[in-house]
Amino acid sequence: LYCSLPNPRNVHFESINMKNVLHWSAPEGTGDGVLYKVKYSVYGVGKWIRKPECRNINRTWCDLSSETSDYEEQYYGSVKAFLNGMCSNWMETTRFNPLTDTKIDPPMVSVSSTEKSISIVLTAPEKWKTSPEEESISLLQVYPGLRYNVSVLNKKTKKRWWFSISNNTLVVPWLEPGTAYCVSAQIYVTTPLLHSGFSKEYCIATLKDRTADETATIVFG
Amino acid sequence: EDVLLPAPQNISILSTNMKHFLTWSPVIIQGETVRYSVEFQGEYEREYTNESWIPICECSLITATVCNITEDISATVAYNLRVKADVGARRSEWGTLKGFFNRITTSLTPPLMKVIAEGYHLLMELEDMGPAFQFCVLYWKKGQESRMQQKVVKEVSSVVHLDIMEAGSDYCVKAQTYVEAINRSSSFSHTQCVRAQDGRSMWL
Amino acid sequence: LMSVTEIRSGFAAIKANIQARDPVRTLSILSHPHSLHKVKSSDRCCVTHHLFNFYVEKVFKHCKTEDSFVNRKISSIANSFLSLKRKLEQCHEQNKCMCGQESTKKFQQILANYEGLNVTSAAFKSLGELDILLDWMEKSH
Repeated sequence: LYCSLPNPRNVHFESINMKNVLHWSAPEGTGDGVLYKVKYSVYGVGKWIRKPECRNINRTWCDLSSETSDYEEQYYGSVKAFLNGMCSNWMETTRFNPLTDTKIDPPMVSVSSTEKSISIVLTAPEKWKTSPEEESISLLQVYPGLRYNVSVLNKKTKKRWWFSISNNTLVVPWLEPGTAYCVSAQIYVTTPLLHSGFSKEYCIATLKDRTADETATIVFG
Repeated sequence: EDVLLPAPQNISILSTNMKHFLTWSPVIIQGETVRYSVEFQGEYEREYTNESWIPICECSLITATVCNITEDISATVAYNLRVKADVGARRSEWGTLKGFFNRITTSLTPPLMKVIAEGYHLLMELEDMGPAFQFCVLYWKKGQESRMQQKVVKEVSSVVHLDIMEAGSDYCVKAQTYVEAINRSSSFSHTQCVRAQDGRSMWL
Repeated sequence: LMSVTEIRSGFAAIKANIQARDPVRTLSILSHPHSLHKVKSSDRCCVTHHLFNFYVEKVFKHCKTEDSFVNRKISSIANSFLSLKRKLEQCHEQNKCMCGQESTKKFQQILANYEGLNVTSAAFKSLGELDILLDWMEKSH
C-alpha cells in the first residue's frame, strides 16, 4: 500500500460517564468510500492492539469503552484511512485519562410532595457498561468526593434556594401548600475537578391545605 | 549598557483575601515614559534552581506601578519579588521586595452576607470570593446562644438554605471565611437576625 | 487537601503541552510495569513521601520550556510540592510515615524507570504523569 492518502483529522476520545468513543474527521478532500482501521494502546505498555470490530469501517467513530474501562490506566487511540489502494499514516490521540477526561451526566431526579414538603431523591449516573451482564458501578464509587448542588424554585415567589448535599436525598419541609416547586440538580466533584450540567427541571406542587378548606367550609358553610 | 536609572523604591505587597498585588513608587524621568518589569522567585527556585527568577509576562514593560501577582503566588511558601525600570535602552538595577512574601499573611475580611427569612426557612446570600474560599456559618435561635449550629458552605450559589425555623422565633446568623490552602479564617461578620413567620398559617 | 487541588488545576492547564513533549508511549515512570495502584495501604505514606522528594529533587528542575506560561505553572506546581513535602517530612519525623522494604522496593522500580531515559525525557515524562500520581493519592486519601 502506498501511504500518501491525507490523514484522518482531529482524532480524539469523547467520553461521557466513561463511555469512551474514539472520534475523527475524514481526511481532507476525500469523498465517500474511505475506510478506516482502529487500534489502541495502554500508556506505558509496548504494543498497539487492533480493534477487530472497527476494521474497514466507513463510519468515523469507534467505541473503545470496553478496551479502556480500567480507569487506573491511560490510553492512546489511533486511526488509519484507506481509499483506492492508498492509505494514510496512523494518526494518534493525545493521552486519554478516563478518570479526568470523562464528562458526567446530571443526576436523575425524582420528586414527591406532601402538603408542606417536597422530597428529592438523586441518583448519580452509572459508569458505562459495555454489556448488560457487567456489574453496575455508580460514579459515586468512582468519585468518592461526589456531591450534589440542588436548586429549588418556588414558582409563585420566583425565589430559588440552593442546597449542597453529599447524600442523595433531600427533604424541604415547611413549604406553602398548593404551590409549585421546580427542582434541578447538578453533580460536582472537587478533585479531580468535574461538574455535570444541571438536570432538567422537575416540577411538583405541594398538596392543598385540607385544614384550611375544612375551616372555610365550617365558617362559610 | 549604562545603568542610569534609579531602581524602583518602596516596593511592597498589598494582599487581601488571597489577591496579591505588588506595588512600587514611580521612577520619575522628565519627558520620558518609564516602563517596569516584574519577576518572582519561589522557595523552590531558591533551593533547587540556583535562585533563578521567573518573569511575569503580564507585568513586562508596563507603565503602571502595580502588578497582580495572584496567579504566580500559588503555593504556601516564601516568595521573593523584584522590579526593574526601563527607558528605551537604559535600565535600572533590580529593586527587590524587602523580606519574603508568603500568602499565609494575606488579610482575610469577614464575608459580605445577607440573611433572609422566607416563611419558616432561614436562608442567606454570600459573596462569591473565589474557589479558595469556604464559609463557616453559625446560626442560633435568639436567646439560645449555647445551642449554636454550624454549617460549612463550600460552593457559593445565590441563596443558600440554612435551616428550618420555629414559628415566630428570631434567628441570628454570623459567618467567617476559611481558606484551606493557608489554614486560616477571617474574623466573623456582624450578626444579622431575622424572624420566622408566626404560627398562624399565612395561607388561611 | 487544597494544595493537591491547586496542583491539579495547575497541571490541567499545561497537561496537553507537557504530554506532547513525551513521544514515548511504550514506557511509563509511575504506572508500568508495576502500577502505583498495587501499593499496599500501609506503604502509601512512605511511597508518597519518596515521590514528593523525587519530583522536587529530580524532576521539576529539568522541565524548563520556551513557554513562559508553562514555566510559571511548573514553578507553581513545584512550590506546592515543596510545601507538601515539608508537611510529609513532619509526618516522617513523627514516625507516622514508616518505610518498609516493600515501599522502598516500589520506589526503586520507579527510579529505575526514570534512569532508563535521558534526564530531560525522563523529567518531562514524569511531569506528564502527574495526573497518575494525583489520581492515586486522591483514591487512597
